[in-house]
Amino acid sequence: MIRYLLRRLGHAIFLLFGVSLLLFFLMQLAPGDFFSTARLSGSISPASIHALRTEYGLDKPLPVRYLRWLNSVGHGDFGYSFAYNMPASALLLPRARNTLLLTVPCLLISWIIAVPLGVLAASRRGGWLDRFYSGGTSALLGMHDLLLALLALLLALRTGAFPTGGMMSLDAAGGLWANWKDVLWHMALPAIVLIVGSLAPILRHVRSTMLEVLDSHYIRAAEGHGVGRLTLLFRHALPAAANPLISLFGLSMALLIAGSMLVEVVMSWPGMGPMVLEAILARDMFLVVGAVLLSTIFLIAGNFIADILLYVFDPRIRINA
Amino acid sequence: MTSGVSDPGSAGASPAQAARLRMRGVSVDYVSANGEDISALRDVNLEILPQHVLGVLGESGSGKSSLSRAILRLLPPNGKIVAGSVEYDGKDILRLSPSQLRELRGAGIALISQEPALALNPVLTIERQIIDVLRAHSRVSKQEAMARTRAMLSEVGFPDPERIVRAYPHQLSGGQRQRAAIAQALICQPGLLIADEPLSSLDTITQAEILDLLRKLKREFNLTVIFVTHNARVLSSLADKVVIMRQGGVRATGTLEQIGAEPDDYVRGLIYPEKTLGRGISRAAGNASSSTQPSSAQRSLAQPLVQISNVSKHFVQRRFLSRKKFAVQALKDVHLEIPQGSTVAVIGRSGSGKTTLARCIAGFEKPDSGRITFTGGGRRNVQLIFQDAGTALNPRFTAEEAIAEPLDIGRQGTPAYRRQRALQLMEESGLDPAWAGRKVGEFSGGQRQRLAIARALAAEPEMVILDESLSGLDLPLQAQILCLLMDLQSHHGLTYLHITHDLSFLPQFADRVVVMDQGAIVDACSPAALFASSHPATRALVEASESLHAPGLEAVL
Repeated sequence: MIRYLLRRLGHAIFLLFGVSLLLFFLMQLAPGDFFSTARLSGSISPASIHALRTEYGLDKPLPVRYLRWLNSVGHGDFGYSFAYNMPASALLLPRARNTLLLTVPCLLISWIIAVPLGVLAASRRGGWLDRFYSGGTSALLGMHDLLLALLALLLALRTGAFPTGGMMSLDAAGGLWANWKDVLWHMALPAIVLIVGSLAPILRHVRSTMLEVLDSHYIRAAEGHGVGRLTLLFRHALPAAANPLISLFGLSMALLIAGSMLVEVVMSWPGMGPMVLEAILARDMFLVVGAVLLSTIFLIAGNFIADILLYVFDPRIRINA
Repeated sequence: MTSGVSDPGSAGASPAQAARLRMRGVSVDYVSANGEDISALRDVNLEILPQHVLGVLGESGSGKSSLSRAILRLLPPNGKIVAGSVEYDGKDILRLSPSQLRELRGAGIALISQEPALALNPVLTIERQIIDVLRAHSRVSKQEAMARTRAMLSEVGFPDPERIVRAYPHQLSGGQRQRAAIAQALICQPGLLIADEPLSSLDTITQAEILDLLRKLKREFNLTVIFVTHNARVLSSLADKVVIMRQGGVRATGTLEQIGAEPDDYVRGLIYPEKTLGRGISRAAGNASSSTQPSSAQRSLAQPLVQISNVSKHFVQRRFLSRKKFAVQALKDVHLEIPQGSTVAVIGRSGSGKTTLARCIAGFEKPDSGRITFTGGGRRNVQLIFQDAGTALNPRFTAEEAIAEPLDIGRQGTPAYRRQRALQLMEESGLDPAWAGRKVGEFSGGQRQRLAIARALAAEPEMVILDESLSGLDLPLQAQILCLLMDLQSHHGLTYLHITHDLSFLPQFADRVVVMDQGAIVDACSPAALFASSHPATRALVEASESLHAPGLEAVL
């Protein structure tokens, strides 16, 4: 097991190299750089723009720039933001923390809601609960996150019960608990949008996986032995359905982070989303590379956690005959 | 249709004893995808007395599985009981409330089903699965449940229940899984056990072991059993009474001897499948005085089509998440000669290396050492027909597409020629060419096996490897397919390599039998001499096969 995890870690580092290389190459293909817009304003002379580009090393060929970037990674800087005049990592890490603070609880809550609901819907196949469930998930799937976010903002404005953006109140003061309460209060709306937005695919997967298991010979056999309904559903069928669901759990982590970008921008949550958007528009290259690498790390971490969970929960993987 | 319906004699013969289970006029319909009602059972009447064994015999599609499921009201969602009553100890099962029904299942009536591999939950330990059944029906302490589970496991023949309770199904062999499933069914001491084809997915030796176990358990627990099967020979030593099913109805009821005497082709085909092999009987007769059979004399002169010398093969397996490798010796120094136009049967237990040998001959595997040479050099055209070959065909293809695909890939002739050839092959394989436009999925299991044969013949092979090709089929169907294969052999001069664990029909079908054990050929003889062989591996197979046979029926055959 340890050996396997180490091997996976090796793969992950290799993957990160590949992703960064590809990013550098792709960014190179797009015309212009951070200083292109500065050229449009008449107040800065072409000579000083040229001097700036030389100063930041943008006149060097691609391989040299990549190696310089790798060197800065070695120092923990992950390049330098042109716009903020700061190392990229110092900018990204607090933002990443805020994103995780929002997404990880959302992910867990989504699954905690989806699993029992999906199990119940599957057990009442064709019944009114199941029909309501299918209709509901279809409606949710059809609703764009943007629409949900705007609706939530509308709610916040009309009722005044929730803040419309940010992570903390400006006048926040007081003890640790009061601060946390303030953050939770700010989190509520973006979290609801994220949960509602990510729920539908998970609900559908839980239901269809459960349906498949409930149709299996061994569940019908257990039913034929008179095993009680709840035991059958949650002790016999759910563990058997866990394998594909755990894999999806790993993937949903990555998807949720992608989805949170939009919600963060619209609802002004100070996560990675708004910063990345800004960086892309401004062609603040190293910030973009750093952000993409971070979300790659989230994806890898999600799959890694899923692998460990699979090992723990699935005896077919844990124990060989 | 239902000529020998419930005979009143049996009920009247023992008036003191009330029937354990009585079905009256039971009909079951399935709703098909396009909304039509398809009748699966029609007006079924039967009864079983306490401590009796009732055999339910029928070919696939005769409704015998619907029967066993209807008793427990375990029909799939699209199936419903439309008429009749099912009484268990005088109570109508069809009127039970859901909780009464749950009580009945497992504690009153228990079911063992066909596929032990599929009947156990892959992610729960054996102990958990048995205890959950026990605790669903009786309030017992954890300690008592554990003790009773272990006691039941040793009852079904596990010498070390302590190890088995912790095992997951994938750690057990097919026979062990079936034993565990039997323990699960019997843990609540049910009043009636329904065994639905409990042997059919096991190899011959394991079948005999499980059958022995069921006999022993029947004696010890005074079980009442409904034994559903397509194999009449299993029933002869077990069943007090037999019900013959056909097309959803009861065709005949009585003891096996009574029924066997009836002049009904369907019934006789079920009870004596060998008799349908016309040529088989002549060859079996020839074997008794083998010098008088010209064909086998000619065959022994025929030159070998394939010569296998010193072939060895091993596989390296690795455990998940582990570096430990271990080698499995699949073939050990195998010598075999397959004469042109003959049938060589390779028999042995599961895992004896039979299939690896076939794959090496077909060229799917490369042997580590040794040579496989075909007469005339190079690899000749070899076709493989697998077990469940029918399921290997794309169900969305039409019959014609499925058969002509090898021709299409080879771009042989014009499309018109390929079409012509496909129709001709259908006819040769005993399928109506008018069905060429039907989808593969619409054909029955036996018909799909014929399609697979037609497809294999499309490539005009010299040799056909039958890898357990018959084991998914009912005995009467097996006999029909064998007839077809023997016909085709005489028409096209085909050479067959018949890989099987089942000794049925071997005297009729094979010219030579080789026995494999742990990757090596340990015995080789004529089919007639097989039953007299003294090699332990051969004896084990023969004895298992004989214990599955009806002692009474051997005389008739």
